[in-house]
Amino acid sequence: MAAISVRAVSHSFGLPGKQNRIAALKNVSFDVAPGEFVTILGPSGCGKSTLLNMVGGLLSPSEGAVQVDGTPVLQPLPERIAYVFQESTLFPWYTVEENFAILLRCRDVPRSEWRTRTLAALTSVGMQDFAGHYPKQLSVGMRQRINLARGIASDTDILLMDEPFAALDEQSRMVLGEDLSALLGRTGKTILFVTHSLAEAVFLSDRILVLSARPGRVKATVAVNEPHPRPPDFMLTSDFSELRNQCYALLRDEIRLAMAEAVA
Amino acid sequence: MSGPAAGTIAELAPARRRVAAGWLHGSAALRWGTLITIAVLWEVAARWSGNNGLVAPPTAILRALVTQILPDGQIRAALIVAVVEITAAYAIAVAGGFLIGVAVGWTRLGRNSLFPIVLFFYAIPQVAFLPLFVLGFGIGPAAKIAFGCSHGIFPVIVNTIAGMRNINPQYVSAARCMGISRAGIVRHVIFPHITGSFFAGLRLSMTMTMLGVILAELYVSTAGIGYFTRQFADTFDPAPLFALISVLTAIAIAMNAMVRLAERHWLRWKG
Amino acid sequence: MTETSRLWPCAIQGLIAAGGLLLWFVVTQSGEVSPLFLPAPDAVVNAWVALVRSDEFWPAVGVTLTTIAAAYILAAVAGLLTGWLITRSPLLTRAFEPLVSGIFAIPITLFFPLFILLFGIGQESKLAYGAVYGFFPVALNTIAGFAHVDRRLVDAARCMGLSRFGLFRHVLLPAASPVIFTGLRVGFFICFASVLGGEAIASAAGIGHNIALSAELFEPARMYAWIVCVVAAALVLTALVSTIERRFRDS
Repeated sequence: MAAISVRAVSHSFGLPGKQNRIAALKNVSFDVAPGEFVTILGPSGCGKSTLLNMVGGLLSPSEGAVQVDGTPVLQPLPERIAYVFQESTLFPWYTVEENFAILLRCRDVPRSEWRTRTLAALTSVGMQDFAGHYPKQLSVGMRQRINLARGIASDTDILLMDEPFAALDEQSRMVLGEDLSALLGRTGKTILFVTHSLAEAVFLSDRILVLSARPGRVKATVAVNEPHPRPPDFMLTSDFSELRNQCYALLRDEIRLAMAEAVA
Repeated sequence: MSGPAAGTIAELAPARRRVAAGWLHGSAALRWGTLITIAVLWEVAARWSGNNGLVAPPTAILRALVTQILPDGQIRAALIVAVVEITAAYAIAVAGGFLIGVAVGWTRLGRNSLFPIVLFFYAIPQVAFLPLFVLGFGIGPAAKIAFGCSHGIFPVIVNTIAGMRNINPQYVSAARCMGISRAGIVRHVIFPHITGSFFAGLRLSMTMTMLGVILAELYVSTAGIGYFTRQFADTFDPAPLFALISVLTAIAIAMNAMVRLAERHWLRWKG
Repeated sequence: MTETSRLWPCAIQGLIAAGGLLLWFVVTQSGEVSPLFLPAPDAVVNAWVALVRSDEFWPAVGVTLTTIAAAYILAAVAGLLTGWLITRSPLLTRAFEPLVSGIFAIPITLFFPLFILLFGIGQESKLAYGAVYGFFPVALNTIAGFAHVDRRLVDAARCMGLSRFGLFRHVLLPAASPVIFTGLRVGFFICFASVLGGEAIASAAGIGHNIALSAELFEPARMYAWIVCVVAAALVLTALVSTIERRFRDS
């Protein structure tokens, strides 16, 4: 059975019949197998995040259905799905450790294990020395690393990631991408990842869904047959650039369409 | 975007935002519906209790407005004087507040040394000085204008300085390099930059100016609006008192609206 | 900041304060200003000492402070409750937030004669007036605080499986509390000024009444003595409130 199953999902914002009604997604269907890393790639405004919000149970689609392990998603499912947002969603009024404590309390982890679990998660992203810091005291990149660690520490089978590296500079993105690939090779989580970076998509995914400009449809699927963890050298191979070019060719017209619509 | 206001418990309900969005358009209807319901209940309660309470029902207020307040030349004159006082006090407060704000906010030294003094005076309840204004300026419009101005000037000063503190020094440097004069820098760099904060100050300043003028009007009960409110209150005549206050409320709403219209006109470029 | 750049502002502030006092002396000595409007500083000091020693001082202060306290408690409780209830639904927030802010933009002093009509000349009218005026900033900021919590943080909390109470305790309350504290502070000073103002306009007791009475009886030194008390009280309260606020923010 598919870990995530999206069936004929369409979604619009605004009231039916109103001028400002926007069709964000149109008849999107796909499955994600257990342990698979699937990336949704598309021009800005094509409904990538909307789609992820539906899988996460934060939004109900206007039409169609989303299922996780065969059960329909009607609300957030904290035991099964962890969500890493675009920007750090660490609570600014708590220290890093307190932020983890809230999560672990929700996960019903016994209090005695909180500290070791927190440190383990922080160590996995190289942030073990910052448990006592407030988010404001850290750089954007550090915050997002911890945000990622918190998502992984949720210990769910499914991880949704909405452009988790968007706020980072290119160098940090690369390093974090490598870390993520290594981490996921070990844990075997099912991941649905949203990005508009071609290199990120190719480097991380088993499968890439290319979405069209608004309203988003699945325009094409690109498979990346390369085992995890992927070495940084993968980016230098001709396979990598070929896949990247293939994605760009699929996207180019859609990006222009999206930009034209954004101006109009 | 018509997304719902962020983060209320009500939205915890299983992903129902789509349905909620449909109801949001009824918010204005709900607001006016509630106000009309209150007016109707007020009317019914007043009639049911025999109409001899101290709270006049809406219809009696309307009748008093048409038959007692509006035809009365003296009350009309008092209202016009109040509007003139508010306008004059506001004009002085805005112009003076802007000039003082720019002067104090221009340099870092000015901000560090003089701004605390401004805040010190802002923190004092000026109403303690109300009798002093009447002693100094008499019971005529001068005292009311001065007192209104003393209330209205502080929000303008404080918001002008707050806006100037956030100016990106690169804009000023760029203007200097282009050879723009000091006045030109105020006009073309500083003023457009502080408009957001400045207009927030203007809105608050209007409320405070009206507060100051009305306080002084009510304090001086031998003439003007204060005389009439005292008359109606002393004779336990609620309907004309409510009616007079309704007119003043309408004036206050209109003056607030004018400030907002001006703001919308000047801030078009902000989109 | 260097040592000298911190020194200059202090020096300038000191100079201005000293200059103001000096001006007060010179102007009153020269006889240019009527002593009815501005009495000499020493006359004010003498009047102040006499005032504090008099029998009527503490009762008047007591009346005003009790009224302010009662008005503020009413305003704060009602404001917090109203703000909380309105933000339980986006529809209610959209319907009533403009109403509350619209009324607050009107000087509520306009309605003061109604309070006199309904509650009489005694302290009850000042209490009600102060409570109503102080209610608005508390309610408005409570609405603003709870209605504008960062959407992403709420989503993140829901995805982690926080309970309703957990969401309130760990997300909504900490996110909203700085804004709510501002409302509580503004509300307090509005209560303070409203009660004093109400007493000055129409009442039979309290500090505001005594200021107005001294003016009517042409006892300017005594009026200034009362004003000094109000200014001192305002400064002490400002310092106190900001200390409390800082303590809360740190913890």
